[in-house]
Amino acid sequence: MIGQLIAAMLGTLAFGIVFDVPKKEYLFCAINGGLGWLTYLLLGQCGADMALASLGSALILTLTARILSAVRRCPATVFLITGIFTLVPGAGIYYTAYYALMNDLALFTIKGIETFKVAGAITLGIVFGFALPQSWFARLSSAIHDKRRIDKHVGK
Amino acid sequence: MEESQKILKLAVSIGEELLKNGGEIYRVQETMGRILEAYGMVEYNVFVVSNGIFATVHEDRPDRGSMVRYVPLGKVHLGKVTALNQLSREICGGKYTIEEAYERLEQCRQISGIGKIGKLLAAGMGCGAFCYLFGGRVRETLIAFFLGMLLWLFMQALARGKVSKFLVSILGSVLVTAVSFGLSAFGFDIMRDKVVIGAIMLLVPGVPLTTAIRELFSGDYLSGIIHLADALITAVCIAVGVGAAVKVFQVFGGMSL
Repeated sequence: MIGQLIAAMLGTLAFGIVFDVPKKEYLFCAINGGLGWLTYLLLGQCGADMALASLGSALILTLTARILSAVRRCPATVFLITGIFTLVPGAGIYYTAYYALMNDLALFTIKGIETFKVAGAITLGIVFGFALPQSWFARLSSAIHDKRRIDKHVGK
Repeated sequence: MEESQKILKLAVSIGEELLKNGGEIYRVQETMGRILEAYGMVEYNVFVVSNGIFATVHEDRPDRGSMVRYVPLGKVHLGKVTALNQLSREICGGKYTIEEAYERLEQCRQISGIGKIGKLLAAGMGCGAFCYLFGGRVRETLIAFFLGMLLWLFMQALARGKVSKFLVSILGSVLVTAVSFGLSAFGFDIMRDKVVIGAIMLLVPGVPLTTAIRELFSGDYLSGIIHLADALITAVCIAVGVGAAVKVFQVFGGMSL
């Protein structure tokens, strides 16, 4: 479990570097990726199938990305795009192609449908995550940053 | 050039840079609107799609201006998106004159990010990490690490040769599958599928898929469909590449797969 979490964080960090995320956001990208994968694993252990686990994980990833965006004053995309890579059905694409070529139509159909289901689940997760009004996150952002400004002022 | 046209050009240039580097449609549209307002444009229209920007200001006045930019889908650079976001916030705070804003935009364009070696290692690390995540053992993870770096170099070389990105996806997945199946054919005891799954993460269309979803559900249907088509076609290309390589091994390798 710990190994899996570290791998998820390293993987997310790696994609952060590939897509030129600003250096000071590296850690936060990794945290978001790790949190997303943790959700995925936990849901899986509770007996959720791949699609449901992807939905829950995408939802958590999106909400965390928005919270981080408010805290770090940085577009939510930065955290979302890098974190979502743990969920994107690369394996699904591979198995679908593989079984199609092997002429194993039963497994091809299963894997193909599963891939689309996971893509759909990620869609729903992201959509639900963005359904909460932006004003809440804006309020969070101003609460944090105004407080910092006041702290600085008092500090002087 | 009229003052209003200079302002329009600034807004369009910032919008173009945002869009090119992976900013969302609504972000581009909002940013451009805010910049135009910050410099006192009273009436404007901004229309943004995934690969183009159209904007006009002051339609009914003598200082009217209009601009169109074609912005091909390109490489994502989130560092630039963040910097431009900050720039637009500062412009709206009234911090810059138009000339200063142009200078700052030029600085944002120059942001380079981490060096080539760093990116190469990151590509390997990503592939290795995802291979492990999807059930690879230590040996598969190591192979995926080096294969990821090889794939990265291959992708960079093809990109320099201006090869279409669909061909890059096909050839890239052929390369990954061929190396993995080849190693296995030479008697290495590895799980071929895990190595391939790890290494193709560099090709998998995670960014256009995420962008497409967000655009479709915020009502930017046209842009959403452009990105969705991009994601689907890339996925099909990967499948074709993997399939072609597997087929070759099946036919000529005489392997029991």
